[in-house]
Amino acid sequence: MSSDGKIRAEALAERLRKGDPLALGQALTVVENGGSNALALTEALAGAFGKARIVGFTGPPGAGKSTLLDALIHEWRREGRPVAVLAVDPVSPISGGAVLGDRTRMGAHSLDDGVFIRSVSARGHLGGLCEAAHDMADIMDAAGWPLILIETVGAGQSETEIAQVADLSVVIAAPGLGDELQAIKAGILEIGDLLVVNKGDRDDAGETAQHLEAMLSLRSGAKRDVSVLRVSATTGSGVSRLKDEIDHRLEAAGVAAGADRKRKRNARKMALAIHRVASRISAGIPDEDIGAMKPEELDHVIERWLASLPTGVED
Amino acid sequence: MMAYPERVLVTKIGFDGHDRGSRVVAAFLRDAGMEVIYTPPWQEIEAVVKLAMQEDVDLIGVSSLATDHLIMPDLIAALRDAGMDHVRLIVGGIIPQNEQPELLNAGVSAIFSPGATSEEIVETVRELVVEARAARECAEEM
Amino acid sequence: MPKIASNTDSASLKEKQAKWQIRYDREIGRDRTVVNRSGVEVRPLYTPLDWSDGRYDEDLGMPGELPYTRGIYNTMHRGRTWTQRQLIGLGTPQDYNKRVRMLLQQGASAISLLPCNSGFRGIDCDESPVPLLGTCGTVINTVDHMDSALDGVPIGEISTAMNDPTPFTLFAFLLSVAKRRGVPFDKITGTANQSDYISHFVANHMFYRLSQPGARRVFVDHVKFCREHVPNWNPVSVVGQHMQQAGATPAETMGLTLSTAIQYADDCIEAGMSPDKILPRFTYFFDISISFFEEVAKFRAGRRIWAKITRERYGAKDPRSWRFKFHGQTSGVDLTQQQPLNNIARVTAQAIAGIFGGLQSMHTDGFDEAMTCPTEDAARIAVATQNILREEAHLCDVIDPLGGSYYVEALTNEMEEKILQVMDVIENAGGMYNAADAGIVQRMIGKSAFEYQSRIESGAEKVVGVNCYQSEAEDGEVETYRPNREAMEAQVAAFKAFKADRKQADVERALDELARAASGTQNVYEKVVTAADSGVTHGEIIACLRRELGFGHPLMVA
Repeated sequence: MSSDGKIRAEALAERLRKGDPLALGQALTVVENGGSNALALTEALAGAFGKARIVGFTGPPGAGKSTLLDALIHEWRREGRPVAVLAVDPVSPISGGAVLGDRTRMGAHSLDDGVFIRSVSARGHLGGLCEAAHDMADIMDAAGWPLILIETVGAGQSETEIAQVADLSVVIAAPGLGDELQAIKAGILEIGDLLVVNKGDRDDAGETAQHLEAMLSLRSGAKRDVSVLRVSATTGSGVSRLKDEIDHRLEAAGVAAGADRKRKRNARKMALAIHRVASRISAGIPDEDIGAMKPEELDHVIERWLASLPTGVED
Repeated sequence: MMAYPERVLVTKIGFDGHDRGSRVVAAFLRDAGMEVIYTPPWQEIEAVVKLAMQEDVDLIGVSSLATDHLIMPDLIAALRDAGMDHVRLIVGGIIPQNEQPELLNAGVSAIFSPGATSEEIVETVRELVVEARAARECAEEM
Repeated sequence: MPKIASNTDSASLKEKQAKWQIRYDREIGRDRTVVNRSGVEVRPLYTPLDWSDGRYDEDLGMPGELPYTRGIYNTMHRGRTWTQRQLIGLGTPQDYNKRVRMLLQQGASAISLLPCNSGFRGIDCDESPVPLLGTCGTVINTVDHMDSALDGVPIGEISTAMNDPTPFTLFAFLLSVAKRRGVPFDKITGTANQSDYISHFVANHMFYRLSQPGARRVFVDHVKFCREHVPNWNPVSVVGQHMQQAGATPAETMGLTLSTAIQYADDCIEAGMSPDKILPRFTYFFDISISFFEEVAKFRAGRRIWAKITRERYGAKDPRSWRFKFHGQTSGVDLTQQQPLNNIARVTAQAIAGIFGGLQSMHTDGFDEAMTCPTEDAARIAVATQNILREEAHLCDVIDPLGGSYYVEALTNEMEEKILQVMDVIENAGGMYNAADAGIVQRMIGKSAFEYQSRIESGAEKVVGVNCYQSEAEDGEVETYRPNREAMEAQVAAFKAFKADRKQADVERALDELARAASGTQNVYEKVVTAADSGVTHGEIIACLRRELGFGHPLMVA
């Protein structure tokens, strides 16, 4: 990569570290779109990652995620704590474009400097949506935001993956969603640390909560400390209890959380690199990106990938 | 940087609440493959600037009925103060003919009145986004 | 004795029609499929096979009785013409007063007051940029403003419509003025237009003042207060206009509006009011589009459905509860900026549809109304249009003149079906409040708006002067209304002085009471009324309620 690109990345990284709000918006765009600029920026910011805590929120449409998030943000802001949000909106399957409207539900914070909201469309990201989201969260981390919320519309596979990016995963359901509840079962339930039944003031909310608890008890696999909570984002009931629960769990995970995330992330990157090499070799499952590259280019990319991975936990 | 979709903010400032037009335009832009950040009406100028910054938009489309366009210059000034003068601006809606030149002079790139087709709007937005990104790169180099 | 053809020989008719169809198909070549805005297919010919008056009793009946299809009153417009209620709002209270007096002189029989957009947003004139004040409505922030606006207007004799959403501060100001003038509350007649908060949230107009649950609370308190203290005031106006203007089809609009009415009735009944106590004071506000027959059918079907709902769902016994009373406004969405004088023809067609649809009161748009607050001339022509239709075209002489038309009756039935389908969707979603919360309504409306715009772009839907019959020559540049800058600045200055001079202790006490009522269970609206009496301003009342009941945000984006 050109030294020009490197210098620009350094400049941007510097502005970011200084807290320039314009820089964060621009840096997010750079890493979202990958490529050599993104790599350069990540390199320039090495050492600034790992302080933030990431909480993922997912659930079917209509469950009231954005409204709940808005209520939670209010709670954190009451304590003077800054919050950054990555709101992932679904993409139009036809055009690849998207109307990113999630943040409108968080409009109360539009003038608050302690809240930063970025909308991401679930489009074809180079390297996958999950990677892009993680990279963007890392940038928010490097810019000094201690708490990062990632919101996705649940049900799809990439949304499940994003939940794995987080230190803590919250799945939001609501009564009366019928078939949507089946969709929750499909995969998201597997990764939820907290299951929240929103619209808890409705008569059938109790039933939904019981249903979720029943599903939990039937789940096979490693035992996890999963809680089911009832809230009402609109009346505020249960919201501060939820916030406390989130804070408590984040604290319990401790410093290890950041490093743990990094380890998982590196492992994933490694696995991805290996997969690409393997698929290039095996040619049975062509990977378009790899397919277009010359072998020596591919070697170079893999080498750089491997070189960018930190060797130890202390990084 | 590699090519990535246009990022456009569609919003309403001032006091009008009729947003059918802006919603429909947002949908057309989406169908043209763009990423559209959409806000409801009655946005404060300061909020729009913050949003544009956080979302790193290339272009802001303001929907205006009656007199809201009269405060466009305030938005333009605020964007400039925030270091965002590469962001291109378009206005759509009902703007009296005799007030349009002033708007264009103040820094609005294009004005769309009823009768403008979605094709025209999409085309114009694409061109303006290219301009915006080039302008931003120039600014960075300085 | 006229022949009632209720036993038409249908076999013979079928044969005749089949033969005609052959001739028709041969001559017309490729026929186009015509579908109206609501998605009902419109055929070239309707005969007794589509609807015959064997169904008269079931479908129509007489005006003034069930099923009310032909009209809610026995005499309808022949007995009493529709109320000419022109919506006005502009500039300062003095500007409003001048305009309203002119219109009353020219035959308007009731008045309507539209406040400035700054008011809709919930702020006072000293918190707005001055160029945005008074451009689309009148600035009214205090009782004094209301008093000036209605100077010389006999509020105890004339029906007024306050276009003011929760928390209905304008109505509170009106009541204070009534007290000042010694007009007893039972003489105050009119309607709380814009009381329909759900339509604001789904059509994104005026959601801004209070959160949805907060608006729900104040709405119910307001209805309770009015039923008790202002018995001849209609506290509920369910506004179909918002949905249709935002893009809902006419059938969707009627379905969503009736579902909203059901939600409000349910909420009021839950709060302890009985059906017959509230339903007679439910009114509706609709847009009248230029899809002529579709609008007529929409209104007739709506009347029929509402009569059924009030009786079957609510068990209402009072016939006044069964009556679907509505105000129609010619739709500004159909008007164009190109060749603006053409809009006079549009408004005329829309007005006729409204009259044939059996409305109780009507506003006709000025030809420039899509672009600006109407000028005096445009406003005058709008009122003259109604007068001409009545006096010269004699549209008031016959009740429901389109009744019995094979097309209109078949269409009314088909619209009814579509309307009921929409109502089912809402019912399954748990009612209108929940459906709006879940974004179902907004998505429905957004989809229709998008489809309509696509049809205009493709040319499938024609708009004269826009995508056909365009003309370079614009017949006259439309004058844009701008309030007098000095007068407005003087108003703001006077307002500031008023705030400085009034009794702070009274204001604080009133706001304190208001806040306490809001955070408790007392009737909030009672305290809004006393706040108005104590010199509290519009913006102050709303700021107080926002703190207690929550800020408003639109619920969902398509």
